[in-house]
Amino acid sequence: MPKSTDIIIIGGGIIGAATGYYLSRAGYRVQLIEKGYLCAGSTGRCIGGIRQQFTSEGSIKLMLESVRHFSDMKEELGIDVHWHPGGYLFLAHSPEKQEAFLANIAVQQGFGLKDVRWVDAYQAGQIAPGLNIDGLLGGSYCPSDGQAYPFAVVNGYAEKIKSLGGIVNTFTEVTAILQSGGRVQGVKTVAGAEYQADIVINAAGPWAREVGLMAGIEVPVEPERHEALITEGVDYLNIPMLVDYRADGGYFQQFRHNGQFIGCYSPIPNVPGHSTASSYEFLQEMPKRMLKLVPALGPVKVLRQWSGSYENTPDGNPILDRSPLDGFYVIAGMCGHGFMLGPAIGRMAADFIKNGAKEPPVAEFALERDFSSQEAMK
Amino acid sequence: MANNDDKIICRCEDITEAEVLRAIEQGTATADEVKRLTRAGMGHCQGRTCRRLVNQILARKLGQNPEDQKPVTQRSPLQPISLKILADS
Repeated sequence: MPKSTDIIIIGGGIIGAATGYYLSRAGYRVQLIEKGYLCAGSTGRCIGGIRQQFTSEGSIKLMLESVRHFSDMKEELGIDVHWHPGGYLFLAHSPEKQEAFLANIAVQQGFGLKDVRWVDAYQAGQIAPGLNIDGLLGGSYCPSDGQAYPFAVVNGYAEKIKSLGGIVNTFTEVTAILQSGGRVQGVKTVAGAEYQADIVINAAGPWAREVGLMAGIEVPVEPERHEALITEGVDYLNIPMLVDYRADGGYFQQFRHNGQFIGCYSPIPNVPGHSTASSYEFLQEMPKRMLKLVPALGPVKVLRQWSGSYENTPDGNPILDRSPLDGFYVIAGMCGHGFMLGPAIGRMAADFIKNGAKEPPVAEFALERDFSSQEAMK
Repeated sequence: MANNDDKIICRCEDITEAEVLRAIEQGTATADEVKRLTRAGMGHCQGRTCRRLVNQILARKLGQNPEDQKPVTQRSPLQPISLKILADS
């Protein structure tokens, strides 16, 4: 079968779409293959938050870049992705949390995140009108963090891939990675079609392990279920994304473009596996946690709940690397931050592939690394 | 007769038939995709009104058999419930 494209990307979420866009822009002919519809995996299930407040140099610098991409996206992709720098406020209710945030702020400022700062409880209440400040010591606030609409972003990238000569195949499941003599040759789909390319990228998010195994490559990514809900739209209250890391906390924000509140929390214990089922427990519990932080939201109605997968690596950092199979790359394991990291990861991955470098652009993102350290602001 | 630009398909999100047709031209072939691209079905009534209309348009434009169309996932709660009522439940 003749080679139709230069690069095949498996996975039509933010990582595959952004990487495909930057590769298309670099002159490659890209084929993006997605087993469902675009965004059907993790990206379309995320709550659309975008923050630069991380603790590792690699993530902070990538997020500084991603925020630049999001703010340029309307012009670049010709589609309104509803980017809005509404800020992120991480809440500290204990001296330990406060100390940790203060240390993180120093690290973040050192790596170029200049507008992150500590705010006391009173200031937090000014920044987030209606915030319950009982027991609050203060928070880590970054006004240039923000939000965007995942479906618009991925759709915008996919349309650009097509207009730059690439192909987007939805409802097309890859079942095998073709290889010969230690080099990747292409992919085979469930319908039996074979597509050839010199480079194949595993951007399969929560299925990155399964896709890796098709190539005989071990990719240490484990899916973990996270539930979410969204409310009806109400007047914009100008509250930043609130992050409460307590065991009974959660995270939620209000979309600037339509006034809907969207939020989730990390269940204890965690829920490993591919399930995207919803629970009644979450539907009762999440409102409690939201109202504890902003009691005035009581009358706002919940429209729906759903769930999606974080795709975790053991140390909380992504994987962006080539693999022992020549031409087979892995860009996965975004640990719940794929949407926000996506634009910068896509740009970085495209440069990496174009340059043909042997070593990954960020050492802490290597496929074969010591996974024992931890990103603190997971 | 109203043209496509002002025929409302999704009343909650104010989505017109023209917007649904544009999504189909862009390559969408399922109600799930139309929902994600246009927001038809994401509003207060959760697609109770527009779900059938979107499927009819897909059937008409793409020659789909209505019986073969994959239904959009139904998500709870079945009608909007306030955060307060849920929190107190």
